Amino acid sequence: METLLNVGHGFGIALLPINLLYCFIGVFVGTLVGVLPGIGPISAMSLLLPITLSGTPESGIIMMAGIYYGSMYGGSTTSILVNIPGEAASVVTCIDGHQMAKQGRAGPALGISALGSFIAGTFALIALMLVAPSLASVAIAFGPAEYFSLMVLGLVVLTFLTQGSMAKALLMACIGIVLGLIGLDSITAQPRLTFGRLELIDGIGLVPVVMGLFGIAEVLINTEQLIKRDVINAKITQLLPNKADWKASAGPIGRGTILGFFLGILPGGGSVISSFASYALEKRLSKTPERFGNGAIEGVAGPEAANNAAAGGAFIPLMTLGIPPNVVMALLLGAFVVHGVQPGPLMITQNPGLFWGIVASMYIGNVMLLVLNLPLIGMWVQLLKLPYNILFPLIILFTIIGVYCSSNNVFDVYVMIAFGVIGYFMRKIGYEPAPLVLAFVLGPMLENNLRKSLILSQGDLWTFVERPISAVCLAIAVVLLVGPLLPSFRKKRELVALEEGA
Amino acid sequence: MFRRNRLMIAFAAVGMLMSASAGAQEYPTKPITLIVPWPAGGSTDISMRAIAESASKILGQPVTIDNKAGGSGTVGPATMVAAGKPDGYTIAQIPITVFRLPLMQEVSWDPAKDFSYIVHLTGYTFGVTTSAESQFKTWKDVVDFAKANPGKVTYATPGAGTSLHIGMEQIATLAGIKLTQVPFKGGAETNAAVLGQHTMLQADSTGWRPLVDAGKLRLLMVWTSARSPNFPNVPTLKELGYPMVYDSPFGIAGPKGMDPKIVAKLHDAFKKALDDPAVIATLAKFDMVPNYKNTEDYKKFVTEVTNSELKVIETLGLAKKKN
Repeated sequence: METLLNVGHGFGIALLPINLLYCFIGVFVGTLVGVLPGIGPISAMSLLLPITLSGTPESGIIMMAGIYYGSMYGGSTTSILVNIPGEAASVVTCIDGHQMAKQGRAGPALGISALGSFIAGTFALIALMLVAPSLASVAIAFGPAEYFSLMVLGLVVLTFLTQGSMAKALLMACIGIVLGLIGLDSITAQPRLTFGRLELIDGIGLVPVVMGLFGIAEVLINTEQLIKRDVINAKITQLLPNKADWKASAGPIGRGTILGFFLGILPGGGSVISSFASYALEKRLSKTPERFGNGAIEGVAGPEAANNAAAGGAFIPLMTLGIPPNVVMALLLGAFVVHGVQPGPLMITQNPGLFWGIVASMYIGNVMLLVLNLPLIGMWVQLLKLPYNILFPLIILFTIIGVYCSSNNVFDVYVMIAFGVIGYFMRKIGYEPAPLVLAFVLGPMLENNLRKSLILSQGDLWTFVERPISAVCLAIAVVLLVGPLLPSFRKKRELVALEEGA
Repeated sequence: MFRRNRLMIAFAAVGMLMSASAGAQEYPTKPITLIVPWPAGGSTDISMRAIAESASKILGQPVTIDNKAGGSGTVGPATMVAAGKPDGYTIAQIPITVFRLPLMQEVSWDPAKDFSYIVHLTGYTFGVTTSAESQFKTWKDVVDFAKANPGKVTYATPGAGTSLHIGMEQIATLAGIKLTQVPFKGGAETNAAVLGQHTMLQADSTGWRPLVDAGKLRLLMVWTSARSPNFPNVPTLKELGYPMVYDSPFGIAGPKGMDPKIVAKLHDAFKKALDDPAVIATLAKFDMVPNYKNTEDYKKFVTEVTNSELKVIETLGLAKKKN
């Protein structure tokens, strides 16, 4: 009952015209930066943070939050249309989303990702309201040993991302891990693989790597296929998902939501991993895994739901403990602090208006996003008809601006171009970039947490088995790895391989 | 019309007066770029923006912030040194890593020679916390336990080689105890680590404040020179018998060879900015304590801090290999 009263109070604040306006600006900017490759929510939020200082804390934070979850909506658009992820969490959406677009099903792909995002976003908010304080303990139950085992589980996910040769995927993963090692060693602060370059001390950024491997490489590979517009040739039959699409997507959306929500709570987990994990889960559960990679709508619905639910889950540790689980949340923490509010265990009781107002505004923002995004689908699909000689220079321009904006370093632009060239050759010889990106994200976390757990356990390896959460993660990883070796599973894998070989 | 002419004459007269005095008086005639080597939106960035805004009112020219993050806050100053334009229109915030990194590895700059130090501004509030459920009620409990169990006390830092790591090791040396560092990435992770009791202690800047206020963490000590107004019951390092202050202080500097008159002008403007109530309020939000030093004292401080850091870094085995 008290919760209902609070929710009512929150809507009272969120529905104030000024807050509605800020919420709309937030989700609109969010959609925009999500769609534009390279420009992610981080650069947009840090640029807009000073602007919010003049208004009330509610308005400012409502807008900043809107940018964040808005970008999760928008991020899938370019993944689907042109095979370039708008932001890192949408990398996995490229795999099946773009295949769908090639088959003339860009509309349903965009539709299911918007609707799936809406469902997941709404669920995450209800969960945020009802169980936020009790879930706070989940975030701190994870110590280094638990994270290590979770990362092991994450790397097993790799085996489900591969379209073709497993050896090639593992090679890519190894390269990803090595790239992730660049920079100061996280335990001893010794520089590794920096070749004396100051720019490499912090390692190379995820944004330039992703934008290079996907964005620039996609443009390069397309320029040589002389205007072979397969997208246009396939007739666009429908704009919204049909009944069969919904039937196929319901399960993935539900599972993706729950998976994303919980991974979102964990510091360092976040939306990137949740979208990869959801994809792997759906492929594993599917009766027809061979469809994945060839335009399976489940491969779009699940990950898109997951990364939106993760965006909601990420608010829990921030609002209840003052612990931001990712960079975006850290920026939001900064926004709270400059407005004189310290997120933490006392925030909900000391600033109920602020907390409930923000949560209520997220409901409204989600509805706004849906209203904003559904009519846009028709427009986005039209965008595919834009001649390549206009579209491609624009994509390159936006990726360069985006990458430069995220750090103000020209070096990052060079990194992106280098990865663009690498990505081009990778595609020419049939190597997938997705395993590289996942390993690049997980590798350093795996290493860092392994070493921290061993410091804490004084070198005792049993720590990973003795701690229950860690043991469960490792057990699932083993089942997933050994599973395919069992006869019935092996048959399934062979079928998949055959399909792909054909 | 008449009124406007009078105004113009007045302006002209002021202008003549100004140009009649020394050449440096004309500075600044265009916007000044202040390089902040941290991402936009962080605590350092926000406080530097407040200081820059106040200083630009005094200087009469905008002071624009250029965020050049990277290399633990050294890429920005290093870029400034490499560009080498000591005209006073490009200056940079100088975090302590600019002095520390050269002790640990080969770098392109020499903190003793390559900068014109202008003014020292402020520093952070660091503190050591433990979980409210922990057996440690005071810092003395920690020391006693560590003496009986060498190396068993673990503490979370926001990174290896950070001020928190080096500060804790200095304290441990003075106390004659052995502690084990567990380096995390940033304050969010150290908060989670000590809350979940994965480590026994946490050494970090005031990201722990809301958790201490809520009674979930216990603050054992602060590293500022005086007690923090927010936690008047918590002792400082000095009070606990360690004659040191550790606040990872920072100031601003330009490339070497700046005109002393320009340095003086910038010094005066930024010193005044530190007294601006808006600046004081912003710094207080992040628990930053104004720590003013003039140009001469700042130069001396650079030498001192380099020497004291070198000792710790050598004992920690972090010093760069000498050929």
